[in-house]
Amino acid sequence: MIEVQNLTKTYPSQTAVADVTFSVKEGEIVGFLGPNGAGKTTTMRVLTGFLPPTSGTARIAGNDVVTRSKEARAAIGYLPESAALYPEMRVTEYLAYRARLEGVTGPAVKSRVAEAVDRCLLGEVAHRKIDNLSKGYRQRTALAGALVHQPPVLILDEPTVGLDPMQIIKIREMIRSLGRERAVLLSTHILPEVDAVCDRVLIIDRGRIVGEGTPQELRSKLAGTPVVRAVFKGDVAVRDALAGLSGVVAVEEERGPGETRARLECLPDADPSEEIFHLAVARGLVLRQLTREALSLEDVFVQLMRHDEAAPAAAEPEPASPPPEAAS
Amino acid sequence: MRRFLAIVGREWRAYFLSPLAYVILAAFLVCSGWVFWILLASLSGPNARAGQALLYLFTNTFVWIYLLFTVPMIAMRLFPEERKSGTIEVLLTSPVSEGTVVLGKFAGAFGFFLTMWAPSLVYVIILRAHTPIDIGPVASAYLGIALLGALFLAVGTFASVLTKNQIVAAILAFAMLIPLFSAGLLDVLLSDPSKTDLIGYFNMWEHMEDFARGVVDSRRLVYYVSLTAFFLFLATVVLNSKKETA
Repeated sequence: MIEVQNLTKTYPSQTAVADVTFSVKEGEIVGFLGPNGAGKTTTMRVLTGFLPPTSGTARIAGNDVVTRSKEARAAIGYLPESAALYPEMRVTEYLAYRARLEGVTGPAVKSRVAEAVDRCLLGEVAHRKIDNLSKGYRQRTALAGALVHQPPVLILDEPTVGLDPMQIIKIREMIRSLGRERAVLLSTHILPEVDAVCDRVLIIDRGRIVGEGTPQELRSKLAGTPVVRAVFKGDVAVRDALAGLSGVVAVEEERGPGETRARLECLPDADPSEEIFHLAVARGLVLRQLTREALSLEDVFVQLMRHDEAAPAAAEPEPASPPPEAAS
Repeated sequence: MRRFLAIVGREWRAYFLSPLAYVILAAFLVCSGWVFWILLASLSGPNARAGQALLYLFTNTFVWIYLLFTVPMIAMRLFPEERKSGTIEVLLTSPVSEGTVVLGKFAGAFGFFLTMWAPSLVYVIILRAHTPIDIGPVASAYLGIALLGALFLAVGTFASVLTKNQIVAAILAFAMLIPLFSAGLLDVLLSDPSKTDLIGYFNMWEHMEDFARGVVDSRRLVYYVSLTAFFLFLATVVLNSKKETA
């Protein structure tokens, strides 16, 4: 549904998006993850036809965003950053306006509005002024506005930003149910969000995609050395004993008067937890805590960012795009 | 077309949901009411001529001051408001061309402008009830007001695309309207009749007097319609180029 090929967008002063390629299929929710200023919004603006690409192509439901811009735009439901709404309008008024703007006509307007109100649970506030709504309801109204014409593609720019946890859960549920019959691309800088909502993640940093896969794939790809942490009661010397266990590569020990903390780096697939327990029993040590660390998506993210920082010199001489093609 | 109408309708209704619109409407009623009172006073004089008095309803200084001040205020919110709230992104990513957006917003503002003038019809009805007046010049005077209003609003629309700030948009519009309006008044400074004719072509004050007398000159129609279209075209071009920085 969304196909992006070598998309590049340069501004006079910087490259916002560099050679990005990805696609989103129907029934798939793809998370666009990256720190602020990574190029998420710029990419989305190119997809929605708001900004022209400097080079590369993007197609929405088979329509090129430049040459068949109107058809492409008609296939998209777009939720811009920070829920842009007209504060003086009522919810249903706004939805009807959005529907008409997207080309819905006649009696269909009313039924589509009713459906969107239903879908986004806006029944209670349907006739209230947008100005008087809570942030959660506003965000839902904006989401309803994006899907009122029932587009096959949804592009959501930070749909949960600024909401409280309950509201976030509601919006995520909505997005998941919407993703069943649509292609959804959503951007976020909140990691648990992609874990909770997305089928696939694209990690973007400084305009380029630095990682791609399902949340689980990304985790296992970067899992690296498993780590086990053990905490013993009292000040005890355990380092050498721990280092002798099978599969243990390195041990860091931190001894204090109350307890001794040990961090064991192990070979992949090794799990010395049981042996640690037996060791403690054999030596009469009190084992207070024993944890095997799973790499969270947060760690994956940080690692990916670090990889990128490690080679900044290679990334720099990028703007070697053909000069005659000025951004128009 | 339906999308165009959706924009026009929203724009027109938005005026009535803001306090500014009511201030403008009320001020207009006060001014025109006062003018009407003067008109009645002059009509009840011993050697009053009905036609002349009615002309005054459309060509008095108030009308000009009013047009020059209120039109920038009507147009100033068109684009800055959408930029500020971010709704401009929604508007420009819907399957609507930039030209339609500009035209729709302009038409909505023009609709409000016409609504503002609608109550003045009451004066015409009152006069008609008490003294024989010719409907022809009245109609052409309204046509003149509509044409002038359209041109001024097109300038205001153009000014509002240029900036994110409503006040700046209003001041810009005012700064563009003043030369446009006063250029035609320079003929008093010139003695050469050929130059006076040239400048007379731009003399809006005179245009309006002609319209109020019932003279509808096709050159004037072309002048106003083409200038209006020109400024709307400029607005579209700027809107297109401004997206990069939005």
